[in-house]
Amino acid sequence: MGWDLFLWILSFFVSLALVASVFYQVICLTDLEADYLNPFETSSRINRLILPEFILQASLCILFLITWHWVFFLVALPVTCYHAMLYKERRHLIDVTEVFRGISFEKKLRFTKLGFYIFLFIMVVFRLTLSAVYSFTEDDDLLHLF
Amino acid sequence: MILQLRVKSSSGHDLKPIAAVESVSCCASSRPFPLSHSLRAIVNMENQGYPNFQARPPPSSSSPFASAPPPGVRPQSGGPETVGFRPPTRPFTPSAPPVAPPVGAMRPFQSPLVSQIPGQGIRPPPPPPSSNSFPSTTYGPPGGGSFQRFPTPPPPSGPPPPQTLAGHLSPPMSLRPQQPMGPPPQSMTSGVPGGYASPPPAPGFQQSMPPVNPSYPGVGGPPQPSFPGYPSNQVLQGPPSSYPPQTGGFAQHPGQQNMHPSYAPPTSTVQALAEDFNSLSLTNIPGSLEPGLDRASFPRPLDGDVEPNSFAEMYPMNCHSRYLRLTTSAIPSSQSLASRWHLPLGAVVCPLAEAPEGEEVPLIDFGSSGIIRCRRCRTYVNPYVTFTDSGRKWRCNICSMLNDVPGEYFSHLDATGRRMDMDQRPELTKGSVEIIAPTEYMVRPPMPPIYFFLIDVSFSAAKSGMLQVAAQTIKSCLDNLPGYPRTQIGFITYDSTLHFYNMKSSLSQPQMMVVSDLDDIFVPLPDDLLVNLSESRNVVEAFLDSLPLMFQNNVNVESAFGPALKAAYMVMNQLGGKLLIFQNSLPSLGAGRLKLRGEDPRVYGTDKEYTLRVAEDNFYKQMAADCTKFQIGINVYAFSDKYTDIASLGTLSKYTGGQVYYYPGFQSSIHGDKLRHELARDLTRETAWESVMRIRCGKGIRFSSYHGNFMLRSTDLLALPAVDCDKAYAMQLTLEETLLTTPTVYFQVALLYTASCGERRIRVHTAVAPVVTDLGEMYRQADTGSIVSVYTRLAIEKTLSGKLDDARNVIQQKIVKALREYRNLHSVQHRLGSRLIYPESLKFLPLYGLAICKSTPLQGGPADASLDERCAAGFTMMSLPVKKLLKLLYPNVFRVDEWLLKPSADLDDLKDVLKRLPLAAENLDSRGLYIYDDGFRLVLWFGRMLSPDIAKNLLGADFAAELSRVTLQEQENGMSKKLMRLIKKVRENDQSYHPMCFLVRQGEQPREGFLFLRYLIEDQMGGSTSYVDWILQIHRHVQQNA
Repeated sequence: MGWDLFLWILSFFVSLALVASVFYQVICLTDLEADYLNPFETSSRINRLILPEFILQASLCILFLITWHWVFFLVALPVTCYHAMLYKERRHLIDVTEVFRGISFEKKLRFTKLGFYIFLFIMVVFRLTLSAVYSFTEDDDLLHLF
Repeated sequence: MILQLRVKSSSGHDLKPIAAVESVSCCASSRPFPLSHSLRAIVNMENQGYPNFQARPPPSSSSPFASAPPPGVRPQSGGPETVGFRPPTRPFTPSAPPVAPPVGAMRPFQSPLVSQIPGQGIRPPPPPPSSNSFPSTTYGPPGGGSFQRFPTPPPPSGPPPPQTLAGHLSPPMSLRPQQPMGPPPQSMTSGVPGGYASPPPAPGFQQSMPPVNPSYPGVGGPPQPSFPGYPSNQVLQGPPSSYPPQTGGFAQHPGQQNMHPSYAPPTSTVQALAEDFNSLSLTNIPGSLEPGLDRASFPRPLDGDVEPNSFAEMYPMNCHSRYLRLTTSAIPSSQSLASRWHLPLGAVVCPLAEAPEGEEVPLIDFGSSGIIRCRRCRTYVNPYVTFTDSGRKWRCNICSMLNDVPGEYFSHLDATGRRMDMDQRPELTKGSVEIIAPTEYMVRPPMPPIYFFLIDVSFSAAKSGMLQVAAQTIKSCLDNLPGYPRTQIGFITYDSTLHFYNMKSSLSQPQMMVVSDLDDIFVPLPDDLLVNLSESRNVVEAFLDSLPLMFQNNVNVESAFGPALKAAYMVMNQLGGKLLIFQNSLPSLGAGRLKLRGEDPRVYGTDKEYTLRVAEDNFYKQMAADCTKFQIGINVYAFSDKYTDIASLGTLSKYTGGQVYYYPGFQSSIHGDKLRHELARDLTRETAWESVMRIRCGKGIRFSSYHGNFMLRSTDLLALPAVDCDKAYAMQLTLEETLLTTPTVYFQVALLYTASCGERRIRVHTAVAPVVTDLGEMYRQADTGSIVSVYTRLAIEKTLSGKLDDARNVIQQKIVKALREYRNLHSVQHRLGSRLIYPESLKFLPLYGLAICKSTPLQGGPADASLDERCAAGFTMMSLPVKKLLKLLYPNVFRVDEWLLKPSADLDDLKDVLKRLPLAAENLDSRGLYIYDDGFRLVLWFGRMLSPDIAKNLLGADFAAELSRVTLQEQENGMSKKLMRLIKKVRENDQSYHPMCFLVRQGEQPREGFLFLRYLIEDQMGGSTSYVDWILQIHRHVQQNA
């Protein structure tokens, strides 16, 4: 029981970090469009975050697999595959010289990812609460609740 | 076609020029009638030119046209005017322009009525003066003869309009069957019985029209006096005067070409004229190949680039077209119209183009008042701003903001609202000015001109003689480097190690420091690697003298390019400047080393093909971005005879606003002159440092994409670390609002830069273009050169993300789409048959399209050009100004043997010599000597049967030898001298590159094909299409779904 709780707490923080990271990237891109940031700064800020994000996301996916949480694993899997593809084709980083050409795509991509991560986050929070409730309450208490 | 109708009524008051069409369409539906009255009156007067014609005062004084019926809305038939005559409203075909008030169409029928109304003061028009060019005088509309711009109209014999009412209804019906769609439908009113009195539309209304569907049942009737076949080329086409700038109103009237195509041309002369009208039609019959085809009649740009000047007189205050060229000088008024214009909508800007003697851009210092700019949109003050409030305020022409005039800049206005000091203020009279920028425009003190050389000194550099030539040239240019005495200079050489040179002025000889740790680059000296030229002149000269000797016997073949670049970057990033890289082999050591990847033929033809044309290693893009950030512009000189991955090296130039010079297989004996000249040009031409460029335009439109060698610093700011007169940038614009409400659109290019003298300056180019509602007008005002320039850049960009084939197809499809749209515009109204029609302004577009497909970056398959050549040409073409690009695409070929034999030794008759020939082998006479000149290469082609005397005179003793080993040198005879003078002259015409001279003899294979025949783009070579086939292909595609 304790391990399960630990898993969800971990997932909670990981998915929170993912949401935060993508949100930050979106903000950077928006700032770039509004001319608050220059392309050099934007791309270095975003590119710094991309690999950690990929790694976090992939490890979360694997974590779900080895803990045998099928549903979560399948939810996380497509994004992991997409990331792997980007990485393999060396397209994962923002190209500083052509930022503006791809900016609309990059923004859309990140908005989609943001939505996805938030969805994952909510699911995780739900399971976290559930498992927290399970672990901190005696079975009797639980029955009592109902 | 737009015409300003300024008519004096007999009462003497001036009618306002007809308002802009947009306004017509906007408020049209509300009050159709009053407007049509005034309109009619005006038009009648205008058309018939009756001086005594009484104009009915316009009901709405402000804008006579204000209530034209809306597009496609048929006027209600309530009014007397329209009884019985249903104006031919626009057919609702897809080709019809969206905004096309049929006012013009109504006009003809209505006018007789109007004139009949007693008390209107309209007198029946007297027979017009004999000015009717229509040979057939059988018809009577007096108006027909009244066409003001008609060259020589014969006197019409028809009765005056008032009597003709009866004829109104019937003629069309009876006529149509009689002359059903006669050969070219041009015809004017030939079939109209005299009863038809309406005047032909004013020339101003001519253009445009939505083609009327002749089969429209309800409309068929009214014989339209307008002339579908009217030779607009000569008479009607875009007279600049038709856009009155001061009123902003275009009399252009979309409604007017509502004419009936069905009247046969009375005579063949009309037909001939008529052919011209739809802007040149090309008869070619796809089915029966040769018979109908006359190759010679195909349009060819043998006069070179013709700059669009139809608006030059109209808007004399626009900047010259060498600085800014729009793809069409008529901006579409709505998104729907823009979407039907399938050609690119944008501009090509060459901010620092070389001005001829006497036309230099004036330099202005605003002094204490500061630079006058709009508070809101930051537009610089320009000739199109208006001063109001007795000179205390000025209205921005781009955003209409009312700004205060600073006290120091104040000047009284004269009676006409002009500033008194107009003549002393070039910024208010000239489209191009240069403003001295105060300190607010600097983020740091203006940088001195800096030239930093990064020279590969490996084995091949010494062997090919490159070192020698480069060192000599640099030394000879030291005196001419711009910016004396602030100029700074520095050198790094490298092979497998990096060599830094301490050039401190106190030294007598430069000190060399070798750094061999390539993984962790450091700069051995903090200063003195980049020194002030005037102080360290001796050291620099000593270095340049010893440079070739030092590495004479270098056997190192490695090239630590990446680390060297990093080192140069570290030395330069304090100040920026220009970095010239001389690279002789593939970078092989340290960061940024590259692989031999161009050799793999399996990649060609696959989806991965494009990867060969983009930088392999992200290092290059990152370095380019970093360099741009620190104002370093990079020019790459590449010399290797083997693969050097120009695609990767060129990336450095591409994003730093530089250029790539490529000398494959450099040999100082052959290429020395070229390198010498081009390096000298690069070093000595006027350069703008640490610059940024932005182009502003009016509300509702926005520049959305930029093409060329630069890096975007924000969505619309081009960062150009070093820019000069040989660089041009293309951009495309989009309409952001569905409808533009202004009559004109303004463009302002601003380049903020540091001049070599250390002054911060802003070069401002302002131009205005009218907004039109008519697609035909857009086509008419199109500028082929600028369109081709944009297309070339788009195609080259496409090769960086797709196959060559795709890029070529894209070009073809774009041209087809444009021509199809144009065809649709006219097909309803004219019998086009199997003709390929195109506007006069775009007559060279198909040929240039073919030329783009056959240009080095795009041509053929892998075997046709080496990867490096392709990439180098691609980088070069991305930055070429329009004229040079067009010359490269369709080079000059001219015959010189006859001229050489002529006794006159002068070059006076140079014009005769330089008569360009079509680029087809059939035009070459084997008895002749021809010169091919594309601005980058000169090829002397010796015909097989050229008289040996000439060859002997020109080539000296070895005239019979194989020409690949012969270089052209001046011989001791008049003919040779004459030829050399000619070549010199050709080279002087365009200084930016030094065309190398190749000699080739007819039949000398494979050199001939490689050097010369391949560039005869009208011929079929290998898998490529010939001009005729290309036209047929395009025509076929155009007709599909046409």
